[in-house]
Amino acid sequence: MPEERPPLLEVKDVSRSYFEAGKEFKILERVRFDLAERDFVCIVGPSGSGKSTLLRIILGLDKPTTGEVRFEGQPLTPDNPRVAMVFQSFALFPWLTVEQNAELGLEARHDPLEARHAQARKFIEAVGLAGFENAYPRELSGGMKQRVGIARALAIEPVLLCMDEPFSSLDALTAQNLRDEILQLWSNPELPPKAVLIVTHSIEEAVYLADRVIVLSARPGRIVAELEIDLPRPRNRKEPEFFGWVDEIYSLIV
Amino acid sequence: MVAARKAFRWVALGLITLAAAFVIAFPETAGLALQLPLLALYSVARMFAAYVLSLVFAIAYGTTMATNRKAAVVLLPLLDILQSVPILGFFPAALIFFVTTFQGQPVGLEIAVVFLIFTSMSWNMAFGVYESVSTIPQDLVDAAKGFGVRDWLKFRRLVFPATVPKLVYNSMLSWSNGWFFLVASEIFTAFGSTYVRPGLGAFIADRGSAGDIAGIFLGLAVLAAVVVALDAVLWRPLSVWSERFRIETTGTGQPVPRVPLPYIRLTWLPRFVRPRRWVGTRLRPLATGYARLTVRMDRAASAHRRVIRTVRWVDLALFAVIFALVVVTGIVGLIGLLLRPHSPGVSEIPAATVRSLARLALAYGAALAWTIPAAVVLGRSPRASRLLTPVIEVSASLPATALLPLIIGFAIFLTPSSGTEAEVAAFLVALFAMQWYLLFNLIAGVRAIPGDLDEAARSFGLKGLAFWKRLIFPAIAPSLITGSITAWGAGWNALIVSEYIQFGRCGPSPCLYWTEGLGYLMDRATFGVPQLGLLPDGELLLLSILTMVLVVLAMNKLLWRPLFRRASARYRLEV
Repeated sequence: MPEERPPLLEVKDVSRSYFEAGKEFKILERVRFDLAERDFVCIVGPSGSGKSTLLRIILGLDKPTTGEVRFEGQPLTPDNPRVAMVFQSFALFPWLTVEQNAELGLEARHDPLEARHAQARKFIEAVGLAGFENAYPRELSGGMKQRVGIARALAIEPVLLCMDEPFSSLDALTAQNLRDEILQLWSNPELPPKAVLIVTHSIEEAVYLADRVIVLSARPGRIVAELEIDLPRPRNRKEPEFFGWVDEIYSLIV
Repeated sequence: MVAARKAFRWVALGLITLAAAFVIAFPETAGLALQLPLLALYSVARMFAAYVLSLVFAIAYGTTMATNRKAAVVLLPLLDILQSVPILGFFPAALIFFVTTFQGQPVGLEIAVVFLIFTSMSWNMAFGVYESVSTIPQDLVDAAKGFGVRDWLKFRRLVFPATVPKLVYNSMLSWSNGWFFLVASEIFTAFGSTYVRPGLGAFIADRGSAGDIAGIFLGLAVLAAVVVALDAVLWRPLSVWSERFRIETTGTGQPVPRVPLPYIRLTWLPRFVRPRRWVGTRLRPLATGYARLTVRMDRAASAHRRVIRTVRWVDLALFAVIFALVVVTGIVGLIGLLLRPHSPGVSEIPAATVRSLARLALAYGAALAWTIPAAVVLGRSPRASRLLTPVIEVSASLPATALLPLIIGFAIFLTPSSGTEAEVAAFLVALFAMQWYLLFNLIAGVRAIPGDLDEAARSFGLKGLAFWKRLIFPAIAPSLITGSITAWGAGWNALIVSEYIQFGRCGPSPCLYWTEGLGYLMDRATFGVPQLGLLPDGELLLLSILTMVLVVLAMNKLLWRPLFRRASARYRLEV
């Protein structure tokens, strides 16, 4: 059993509904979980389970109808520099170079010019994009774009890294490489982040990455199960135990 | 590029020969040419002043409209109306206001001219900003929010860049609009006196009333040269540069243009006048200095957020107060007018409206008759496009108002003393004002037809009428309607200058050429026609402007918008 650690992130009974023409559409219902330092958590669910809405609420980009989210004991604001986000669509500014994109959070923090450049270059290098500092996103492949997205997130040295379907618009090989790189960054105590939260619809991806998987049901999204994946790392997708976990989660969703 | 340089040499040689021939043939007019550079500078300076004002206005108005839902309820319909108003109709009123405010000083006139150009430039730019800001993808907005990008930094990094492509495109449109009104406003006869601000427009009009054809051509040539030169050194490079700011999810691997602005597209210049590479190196410290400055500005902007917010609200409140004032005085004035017995001219409005509409419809039909085939040829044949584009661009650079003296001269020549000169001239001015918008929109529409559709049509043997019916017309429908809206807008303004023309000399006063229509009624109501014993008539002016606004709004709402909605729903080429 791991020792008790104070929670980094507390999601407390979060519900979210949309109202249209007087009718209530429930997206999320009483979602509740904690996340501590050194955790690697994946939220899986079928499409329409409100996974992305949940992540937006966790980041403070959307408000829950009831319930609340706390980060380090405080209500979370979207611009909290200790939390960073990686987007499915990359969300890079097309008119900024790789380096300018990576500097975005630092610029918002009003870091001096030289410190900003140095910090951005450090993480551009860490994601393997050295030499592409002056390229524009349009000139890069999908995998490289997402590396920029990751560099931008890491540059502000977040404690918690949130990722919304980060690998689902990439080809299989690129996605696998990036997954391993995220695992490496997470396990490297020298580099951020301390904890990772990934939303995904791929069960295999969740079992491959996470030490805890939170399973959401289809509309409205409710937590069906919270599973500790105790497979040793690096994990092998061909082992029967791996398949066992995938099958178990699969049966929970269907 | 070698070919381009060679072509440049030939063009330069041709122009020099032409200039020399001109000096020999018309030595007196050539003497006038010496003042033209200064006059051109005055005109360009007016345009720039109005453009900078328009830019500031468009960004402020457009972003407010896109981000503040409550303000948008008022701002959006207001802009819609402002855009439909025939601006020239208000010019006399603005002129009186500014001239009396500045007690006849030239400054007042100058401000009136800049104000008129401003009103012709800003509305479409504001709409462009609004459209761009309200279509910024949600994930970019989220990313900005998530990384704490706000205030000035958000504007600098997200909002402004997102507006650049549409802003540049609309700026080009605004400039050609602006030239139209600049020429119309530099020389203005109202209330018994003529107001002149020295400039290219005034020069052309002055040569026109002196009956100096060579002088008119000289002025037109310089005007065309200025417009084309600005296009080459300013607008082309800017529109290449603006490609960088296009938001697209697709299109990987395409290189983004990154050469410093002045280098792009200047390779046709001879080497000795082309900017050198070292200019870029020299400019680098400037760029670093700018970057350092932005850090400081961002910091200051977030330190003084409350001040900035207050300023913005004061700004908006001021605008609201002015707007309310205008509306209230307008309504009060209108009620006052309607309570009084009508002036006799008012009963002419319905017939005049019909005449003007018919005139514009005729000009529109004539414009369509030549622009559609021309656009298909130019859009589909690179050879024809290469050969004819320079000619077309130079012709299109000349605003219809500048061509006015030539057109009326031509109309008199065509139908000598038959009494229809004015009718012919009004038709031609409307045609010139409308046709280029149609042509350029149509060419863009033809170019956008995907090659595979074209090939498919050919391989299935689609020819002749069927080819036009099944491919060309459906494919260009949306751009045809977009072009038509702009063309009609320009047409209404053209009527105001073309249904009532003073040209040449008939005894002590200039000759009058007029033909019944709303534009004529407006001009008559503004200036009076001493030759016919008619006095200025405020009620007639207001009611004819109002009629024109209502007709324009009705056409937009009842004809163009529904057509556009249908065309873009059915005929849009999805990629």
